[in-house]
Amino acid sequence: MTSDKTPTVPYRREKDQYRWSALGFIAPGVLLVAVLLYLPLLWTTFISLTDYNGLGDPEFIGFDNYAEMLDDPQFLSSVLNTLLWVGGTLLVPVGIGLGVALLTWNLKGGIWLRLPFLIPYAVSGIGVGVIWSFILGSGGALDQALGAFGVADTPRWLVDAPLNTVVMILATAWQGVGVNALLFTIGLQSIPREPLEAAKMDGANGFRLFRSILWPMLRPLTAVVVGLSIVASLKTFDIVQGMTKGGPGGASETLALTMYKETFVNSDYGLGSAIAVFLTVVTLVASILYLRQQLSSKNGV
Amino acid sequence: MSRAIRTTVLIVLGLIWLLPVYLLVINAAKSPLTFTTAESWRPTDFSLFANIGEAMRLSGLADSVVSTLIYAIVSPAIAVAVGAAAGFAIVALKLRHGFAWFVAIFGGTVFPIQMILLPMFDAYSRVGIFDSKLGMVIVYTAISIPFSAFVMRNFFTGIAHNVFEASVLDGASTWRIFYRVYLPMASSALVAVFILQATFIWNDFLLGLVLSQSDTVRPIVTTLAGMQSTYGGAQMSVVLAGGLLVSLPTVILFLFTQKFFARGLALGQY
Repeated sequence: MTSDKTPTVPYRREKDQYRWSALGFIAPGVLLVAVLLYLPLLWTTFISLTDYNGLGDPEFIGFDNYAEMLDDPQFLSSVLNTLLWVGGTLLVPVGIGLGVALLTWNLKGGIWLRLPFLIPYAVSGIGVGVIWSFILGSGGALDQALGAFGVADTPRWLVDAPLNTVVMILATAWQGVGVNALLFTIGLQSIPREPLEAAKMDGANGFRLFRSILWPMLRPLTAVVVGLSIVASLKTFDIVQGMTKGGPGGASETLALTMYKETFVNSDYGLGSAIAVFLTVVTLVASILYLRQQLSSKNGV
Repeated sequence: MSRAIRTTVLIVLGLIWLLPVYLLVINAAKSPLTFTTAESWRPTDFSLFANIGEAMRLSGLADSVVSTLIYAIVSPAIAVAVGAAAGFAIVALKLRHGFAWFVAIFGGTVFPIQMILLPMFDAYSRVGIFDSKLGMVIVYTAISIPFSAFVMRNFFTGIAHNVFEASVLDGASTWRIFYRVYLPMASSALVAVFILQATFIWNDFLLGLVLSQSDTVRPIVTTLAGMQSTYGGAQMSVVLAGGLLVSLPTVILFLFTQKFFARGLALGQY
């Protein structure tokens, strides 16, 4: 900084003045992300085109791993399970979250009534798995409760597929409803008063009020919640590993689980990497779709 | 819908939501001697603290508590500082092509973590930091940086640029402006990001599973998963007590900092 500088220096000169300083400030972030995230990303992509098990050198084999992946019945079953996770977590935790937000909206004591739903949110996926495996085990808490009502012939919750995936989605819903309710509540609170009161004066209430005013106003936020839910559910791993380990016989495996097993259990690094690349492409497509949706709906409101 | 009906529906639903918590607490409190999987709904005795003590001993959970505390404090602290520095460079110092740099950093968060697992495992083994606290701190820091940079850039965008110009007139260096002016103004955003990332790291399972194996390095959730597989049959109440112990810190932190959480989420999304 030389002494003749003032705040009115031309824009271009000011930029140049701090150039090295600015590069110094951004360097740690860029370097860490480049070395620890992008480099591994490229390496995984490369490995997906090779035959490699950690010993010796990777041998380039083109798209053979991808062909093998698409031929594998386990892969197809994992794709279907993952789709079930995406659909199920949109329907249940996001849906109930919106319901709880609407029910507590402008309600006296709403903060306290929301509390039970928020408690499980910060529990880890494994923690949720420990609790729910205990409840859903054969002869466990749920079976006992049903038995008390005279239902003796209960299904094997964590063994029969696809029921095991469905109950795991419900366990995830137990965890995730609170934060969705919190986000929707923030959205509802930011809706301006005037259109609401105008609509109420016109006699709109209940479902009509929701459909004509609240839902359109919530759309930008809904896009965010839906997008987050899709991206998170595509990567489902912890809770399945904690509750069924993907079993029985891989029947409840998700893509993230299959990737983990091929890589770290079977040491088939090439195939595991191919599944990781597939998962990444799907996630990116979903993210782009939701970002576009978010941007267009923001323009619309 | 009338207020009474809404309140009733919420209370009933809320009670259903609390049932698993109730089951966890009463069964985690049963002594392994009296515990039976056939009778889950009624409390019998109160051995919660004995069970927690036993859980700390099994699978090296006590060691994991210490190492996970280190990860959940050190990594987000570094990530928040690095992210704030990046945001400062882009917004206050008007780094040339700042937006491109920003996208480059933020892009690190859009792909699934599965893409870095194998190379990390491979590289860590070769460099000799597989199964080391240093290795865990590094990876947790790296994955926390994109979100930190994102939130801090958004936050600094809201600070008028003449704050920076006024500090320059006072003769402050850029480092001093960052450290003494921008960071203090951003303290609420820094805390919000820190809390979100600390919770995320505390709850991590996958990175711990792939990059560590010894009791003293393995993070707490990975240890809990191992404990469940090993002792889930014979000592279920101890495993449940372990689950309670692992879950309590983040649950309490979250309930007391809901506003920060919501703020962090909101800053991260808009």
